[in-house]
Amino acid sequence: MAIAREAEPVGSLHEVREAGLDREDLLGIYRNMLITRGVEERGHILYKQGKIPGSFYTGRGNEAAAVGVATAMGPEDVGTPLHRDMGVHITRGVEPWRIFAQFMGRADGPTHGRDGNVHMADTQLGLIAMVSHLPAMLPVATGCALAFRIREEPRVAVGWFGEGASARGDVHETMTLAGTRKLPIVFVCDNNQWAYSTPSYLEYATEHVADRAQAYGFEGVVVDGTDVLAVYREAKRAIDKARAGGGPTLLECLTLRMEGHAVHDDAFYVPKVMFEKWAESDPVERFRTWLRNNAELSDGEESEIGEQVKHLLNEALRRADESPLPEPYDLLEGVYASPEDLETPHHK
Amino acid sequence: MATETAVDVVMPQMGVSVSEGTITKWLKQEGDAVAADEPLLEISTDKVDTEVPSPASGTLTQILVREGETVAVGTKLAQIGGSAAAPAPAPPEPEPVAAAEETAPPAPPAPAVERPTENGGRAFISPVVARIAAEHGVDPAQIAGTGRGGRVTKQDILAFVARPQPAAKIEEPAQAPPVVPPPAPQAPSPPSAPQAPALQPEAGEQLEPVTAMRRGIAEHMRRSLDTAAHVTSAIEVDMSRIVAARERLKQEYTAAYGVNPTYLAFVARATVVTLRDYPYVNGELRAESIVTRNYVNLGIAVELAEGKGLIVPVLRHAEGLNLLGLARGIAEIARKAREKQLLPDDVQGGTFTITNPGGYGTFHGTPVISQPQAGILGTYALVKRPWVVQDELGNDVIAIRPIMNITLTYDHRLVDGAYAGRFLHDLRERLESWEGDGD
Amino acid sequence: MAEMTYLQAISDGLRSEMRRDKRVFLIGEDVGVYGGAFKVSLGFQEEFGPWRVIDAPLAETAIVGGATGAAMMGLRPVCEMQFADFVSCAWDHLVTVAAKQRWRVGTPVPIVVRLPSGGGFSGGPFHSQNPESSFAHIPGLKCVCPATPHDAKGLLISAIEDPSPVLFFEHKHLYRRIKGEVSEERFTVPIGKARTHREGGDISVITWGAMVYTAEEAAQQLDADGVSVEIVDLRSVMPWDKPAVLDSVRKTSKVLVLHEDTRTGGFGAEIAATIAEEAFEDLDAPVKRIAAPDTPVPFSPPLEKAFIPQVEDVVTGLRELAEY
Repeated sequence: MAIAREAEPVGSLHEVREAGLDREDLLGIYRNMLITRGVEERGHILYKQGKIPGSFYTGRGNEAAAVGVATAMGPEDVGTPLHRDMGVHITRGVEPWRIFAQFMGRADGPTHGRDGNVHMADTQLGLIAMVSHLPAMLPVATGCALAFRIREEPRVAVGWFGEGASARGDVHETMTLAGTRKLPIVFVCDNNQWAYSTPSYLEYATEHVADRAQAYGFEGVVVDGTDVLAVYREAKRAIDKARAGGGPTLLECLTLRMEGHAVHDDAFYVPKVMFEKWAESDPVERFRTWLRNNAELSDGEESEIGEQVKHLLNEALRRADESPLPEPYDLLEGVYASPEDLETPHHK
Repeated sequence: MATETAVDVVMPQMGVSVSEGTITKWLKQEGDAVAADEPLLEISTDKVDTEVPSPASGTLTQILVREGETVAVGTKLAQIGGSAAAPAPAPPEPEPVAAAEETAPPAPPAPAVERPTENGGRAFISPVVARIAAEHGVDPAQIAGTGRGGRVTKQDILAFVARPQPAAKIEEPAQAPPVVPPPAPQAPSPPSAPQAPALQPEAGEQLEPVTAMRRGIAEHMRRSLDTAAHVTSAIEVDMSRIVAARERLKQEYTAAYGVNPTYLAFVARATVVTLRDYPYVNGELRAESIVTRNYVNLGIAVELAEGKGLIVPVLRHAEGLNLLGLARGIAEIARKAREKQLLPDDVQGGTFTITNPGGYGTFHGTPVISQPQAGILGTYALVKRPWVVQDELGNDVIAIRPIMNITLTYDHRLVDGAYAGRFLHDLRERLESWEGDGD
Repeated sequence: MAEMTYLQAISDGLRSEMRRDKRVFLIGEDVGVYGGAFKVSLGFQEEFGPWRVIDAPLAETAIVGGATGAAMMGLRPVCEMQFADFVSCAWDHLVTVAAKQRWRVGTPVPIVVRLPSGGGFSGGPFHSQNPESSFAHIPGLKCVCPATPHDAKGLLISAIEDPSPVLFFEHKHLYRRIKGEVSEERFTVPIGKARTHREGGDISVITWGAMVYTAEEAAQQLDADGVSVEIVDLRSVMPWDKPAVLDSVRKTSKVLVLHEDTRTGGFGAEIAATIAEEAFEDLDAPVKRIAAPDTPVPFSPPLEKAFIPQVEDVVTGLRELAEY
């Protein structure tokens, strides 16, 4: 039996306007979802062309959850997005060419080739780079919220995790600290139903991950993660509440993993019928249809946005491909931070 | 259970970091009966205040620590049972000296002079002993070892090389080919290096072993040429003023200080001052960095007698020495070399070197740089030559002047040609315009 | 100047930094009302309030991970592990996040983790360890191990100032046992610089933490043998003062590396290897190590005494070197 509140889907344009989004915002969300998908699709191609070393992960099926939450964040808020959350980087304004450079291990990627995949972030945009130990980012997000609370700043931290990561002790410890101290944080669980090959019923025994929230003394909400507007509405509500001193919320987005864990994984363990069902609720298609039905998205507008995105990504690819491979001469630099590193807005 | 045997009450450890406690109150007095586990006293520590229960039943025969006193954890506070004439409180832990006595006494010193016979008659030579042996051209087998099994220790070899030697003639470096004492007479065979297969001389040839010093020089010379990009530039210097100054100072220096102001000392002084303005000439290429210094450790190349080798003792912080100081320093290292008293430190850490191959009339040369330095100055024979000068009317006339050629051999990797040229120009200016005693 | 215990010096350094810099805050278990398990922060919460002296839940992951996030947001967190042993629960956040963030993505993580470490009072396997070498092996972390009250205060202030994560190993056996003159003014001791605890010419002892005092007692005994022992107190094991160690080795040519941590893979192994690589031609004897045996830390006093290097062990080692 569910303990968390199960959020309603979003219906009319009127309801969306109540949540604070105008038509331009809606087209912006659509555009960000298209860029997100486009970046990962092209990444896929680059990988198969041998231009991306190592492995490659995408968040296909998670676009609505990522873009929806990021749209609800304020400019001064911070977050710790993970590898299914490309939409967060795109929405916060990371330039796609830098992402491609990162994928290909080039000198102009945000980590200059020192790390790969989505292990990157632009701190100027309020993002903190993930590590592979996914649940380890939640205590970091909680620490950001702790800083905001100590300084009494009206800022909120957003920490992402998956239903797989929910099994780790980090999640328990950090939710305990955030709950006892009523910190301004929103925990977002992207529940894409598979942790590599492990189904969700082997990761947690409650009906929802969000059911746990009550045990930590705050609210749990479950939302359809393919409904970008419902995600936005619930994230906005939780972020506003945290900003007002109401403490944490655990927001669980039920999403899809429309591909394997990574490019090398054909996901044979996922029942075929599940993939078929997922295809029907593809979040990008779902929002396009909603816009056509509720916000008068015309053929002309649709193809114009499509062309813009295509042009942006082609330019990004070209620019990333021009970026040189990094040279190892400065490999030893930056193991320790220097005082100059602290000359950032955060540390002043 | 009452006890007749004495039981000690000790200061308990109330927490892992607590080292001492204070008696705040005795709850029983001497002569009182006390039951086991009955509160006996109150103590206070940094972490907690607490009652201490009695460790046994019996009579509190003696209180050793009064209220208000602070003692270390483990200190005996009182005694229950036994007689009142308890011994004084024992220290909580054995004194370090007592502890040491429990350990094995040091092994008796090894026989001082006995020659080791294990390992095929050769004792182990430690790395530092091998290095010092090579630097001084001595065979450790000649030295009586005082280490384990008669091993030659660092102290042994340092004492050996520092021992007084029969005086050997050493020429004053600036005046004649520098000569240093012959090698130690007791070194007929090569030092501990492995024996190569016996080599048979051809008719008319004679073989002598390569000494460690010769091997070291050979390796160093080759490595220097393989490392540095050697370029040599030369100047001719009119030494008239130096000759005059030397004549003037010679008597004073010899009488007052027992030091001969040699031409080398004058050149050294002018060089050290000029190096201040040319840090790269006194510098070093080290890995990815260029090292420059605010000091000059001046090496003076000294040839050992009969072509037996070369050693470069170093005058540390030569920039702080005036002409007298340099003359003295050069004389002192010459003496040390003569008496075989040079220590490893005396030949290490040079930043620039002067060599003086002019003693036999040589007027030019291309010395090899002492690595890892960037340059070496060569001074050559002082000869009288016809020289074009200007008379008081500004006309060119030929005069007889004492001229010395000086070369700078520099590492072109670090020092550019024009830079070296300016260094030599300034050096010549400094020598030709010498005034007073050069301070 | 005032006479302070090692513990008071740590307390004094932390208090002075918290007064000086509002960004500095303390988080840990029982650090608030109780003043910390060892009373380092006694009275701090009254002075600085509950949001700068934060009683955390029993959750080292949340403490160190949270400090990491707060540091990224511009604060200067000081975490207290109740015992150094418990840092194993926070390994991921130190090693995976804090240590690598600057190198990977340019984000500095200026946190200090205070680690009451070391044995000598029957703390047993979980309250006595010296885990500095585990962290010294992680690129990006700094590890300091002060031995004196002066160094404890000065290094703590340096650690708080430092833009990198610093693990501050404070030896519990020194807390109240060691007293010394400490300036009440603010001062720093540079991280990575060793201190010559005692000058000598015949044998060098390279050590740190509580073993400095064990070495000192042993050295006094060697004086009677006419052997002069130099003690180099490393003060920081990462970065460590290689030039100071090599200088001492070049002077004496005989070295004893001494630490309370277990032997295999202890930081002494790194020091010994470096000496062999870089000062081989200056050695007049094999480099000797004295360290705890490769077991967990035992509880019962005779076992613990056998585990922790004792003065007599060091005396024996020094005599062997002297006679070599």
